[in-house]
Amino acid sequence: MSSRRNNLIVLGLVVVLIGVAAYFIFVRQPVAEATQLGLDLEGGVSANLQGYKDDGSEVTREEMDLASGVIRQRVDSLGVTEPEIQLQGQDQVVVNIPGITDTEQAIDVIGRTAQLGFYEVLAFAPNQPLVVSEDEVEETKEELRSELEGDPAYEEGTKILFEETPTLEGDEVQVQGFVVPEEPGVRGDALETASITRDQSGNRQVQVDLTGEGGDEFGDFTQEILDNALTNGTTGGARLAVVLDEDVVSAPGLNQVLNGGSFVIENQAAGGLPEDEAKELEVVLKTGALPINMDVLSVTSIGPTLGSDSLKSGLLAALVGFGLVLVFLLVVYRVLGLIADVALLIYAFLLWGLVVAIPITMTLPGIAGIVLSIGVAADANVVIFERIKEEIRRGKSPRTAISLGYEKGFKAILDGNLTTLITAFILFALSSGSVRGFAVLLTVGVLLSMFTAVAVTRALLGVISDRGMKLSAPMVGVSKESIENARPARAGKAGAGAR
Amino acid sequence: MAAFEKVDFVGRWRLWFTISGVFLLLCIGAIALGGFNLGIDFTGGSKFTASGVEGSPSPDEVRDALPEGIRDEALPPQRLGDDGYEIRTPSLSQEENTEVQQALEEELGAEVSVTSISPTFGGQIRNQALQAVVAALFIIVLFISFRFEFSFAMAAMAALLHDILLTVGFYALVGREVNLVTVVAVLTVLGYSVYDTIIIFDRIRENTPEAGYNRRRYNELANNSVRQVIMRSIYTSVCTLIPVTALLLFGESTLSDFAFALLVGIAAGTYSSIFIATPVLCLYKAWRAGKNAPARGAPEGAEAR
Repeated sequence: MSSRRNNLIVLGLVVVLIGVAAYFIFVRQPVAEATQLGLDLEGGVSANLQGYKDDGSEVTREEMDLASGVIRQRVDSLGVTEPEIQLQGQDQVVVNIPGITDTEQAIDVIGRTAQLGFYEVLAFAPNQPLVVSEDEVEETKEELRSELEGDPAYEEGTKILFEETPTLEGDEVQVQGFVVPEEPGVRGDALETASITRDQSGNRQVQVDLTGEGGDEFGDFTQEILDNALTNGTTGGARLAVVLDEDVVSAPGLNQVLNGGSFVIENQAAGGLPEDEAKELEVVLKTGALPINMDVLSVTSIGPTLGSDSLKSGLLAALVGFGLVLVFLLVVYRVLGLIADVALLIYAFLLWGLVVAIPITMTLPGIAGIVLSIGVAADANVVIFERIKEEIRRGKSPRTAISLGYEKGFKAILDGNLTTLITAFILFALSSGSVRGFAVLLTVGVLLSMFTAVAVTRALLGVISDRGMKLSAPMVGVSKESIENARPARAGKAGAGAR
Repeated sequence: MAAFEKVDFVGRWRLWFTISGVFLLLCIGAIALGGFNLGIDFTGGSKFTASGVEGSPSPDEVRDALPEGIRDEALPPQRLGDDGYEIRTPSLSQEENTEVQQALEEELGAEVSVTSISPTFGGQIRNQALQAVVAALFIIVLFISFRFEFSFAMAAMAALLHDILLTVGFYALVGREVNLVTVVAVLTVLGYSVYDTIIIFDRIRENTPEAGYNRRRYNELANNSVRQVIMRSIYTSVCTLIPVTALLLFGESTLSDFAFALLVGIAAGTYSSIFIATPVLCLYKAWRAGKNAPARGAPEGAEAR
């Protein structure tokens, strides 16, 4: 009989799938490492950045690709395991770095444009550097700004930049302001490499080397500054500003043309640059500037304890819910419920296998999606079983009732699941990050549940009845009385529209 | 089953609508008076979650652990489980975030997790979320019109709006934080509620005879269809509510927020597919038939058995 053969094919397929799932979960790697955990369960930093340009023009996809390449190199050089960098939409990039919690460092490394520029200093305040405490830095900058705006050198096409350096003792800050042209004389594109070095007294500094071509350009530029100073009659006052993004890194006085194209970024505090800062500078300079600027839209850092607490409570909730659904089906539908339970267990195992095999990163919203899909999977069985009970109450034999139940129930299940899939797709298309995890797992779960809750339960039931086991009405949770009660009612309703 | 044999789902629509109306008024009142407690997802800002806090300090002590300046801007710290605290502040710079994180870690001996969202991004998320809900409603109406007919889509839409209003209204009522998770939950409720409605509509479609529309016959048929599937509706709700309740009880903050919205939404969705969608469908059919043949105006109560 072909239906019997179909049943055996379905069950055979289930056995094969279970085997494949078991391979992915247990054999391919230790089971503890099987499931890929998201940042919210494992701990780490996640940042969402948006690219923009100074001139306000639109950021292109190519520029974002370049930028994400640079970000990847930078994150890699931090030495973390398995960072995840994803472009999102036209101008956003999501960076997930597991295992770290320092958001500030992460943002400094991945979000810094790191555009290096060399400027001619047109003017600076005569009374600087001003030494102030850390709290007064912003205030001091404002004072310097208003002072410099009064300088004749400050005109259309120039801007004011500041330099902040900790003092030798490190407890106060030196602030200086400079008037420089809007555009740098030489850009840092010509940068060859950057490395952490030490000066004679052992202070940490970052040495920057320019390419041969960049070195020549740099030499010409210093010549030009000297010439300008000569023309203006301010010989000895010639000064160069090395600027990273909008901060002056150093502004040495010039008394001769600089060739060779190498300079250092340093400060005068004991020990030189702090280790973190030196490392960050080295990384961003070495990997080159981002082609665009980055705005930090959101940053999340999850501690490992919070992550594992979330995982534990999520798993506990999922397991308790799953167990209670199994019990519920068993109580309401007896033998049918038992079969549905077997199908649900198969469902859960295959879903785990899929999550590991694809692989889908498991997140907190993902767990919610799974829990909900358990409900959806059980629901498909409830629809079919209620139909079967109804047919039995109408006086059909259990065997006929079962085949009618699947036939008529399937259409409703298909329509219902399609709407769930529609909402899942909308969620996926219109949202980002964590919400997508929910949508993906809901989709996978609904599709898989169509197979286990409909095809697998039917095949199981078919095989059972082929073995000669007869299902009686009470075995599927229909009482004798309700059958007798329903009969006259049905006869009465026949005229009222039921076909 | 027998318990529902005598209930007139279609004829007593005034009663069902009144029950919903009371709840809806309550919800709308709560939204109008209290408004929503919008989370940082939508407004921008920073959230600090301290876990494993030592020495169980009071909320005031936690507040004192914050750096000066930020202390006055922060919302009162909220307890989170046995040894956790959550603190929300307006949007801070990266340096300030780190400062607060370190201060809390030192003062409380806790592990501090940070989420910070810029106000512009909050606006973006808010727009996306609204778009998603509107798109979902639109596509579902199209889908039902395509699979069934337009009148079914109208009725389903009425039920959906009812469910959305109730879900968000309950949020306003109990003052829970509305965030991205809430929107996800609302969309999930939409899908679920439509599923529930479709099961009933599917049965009405199946029972509808080829012969033309007759109000009395159609209402009786709709009543019977609901009676035939009502146990299924209740059982499936239970099947979904069991794991959702487990999430509410055992899940930590995000999961329990999500579960709360689902609990309200699924309960509302089950009610609405039986007591809102079906009567609306029948009333709409009757109204359209009445428009086409105005002479045959049967009195309202006549068909209520």
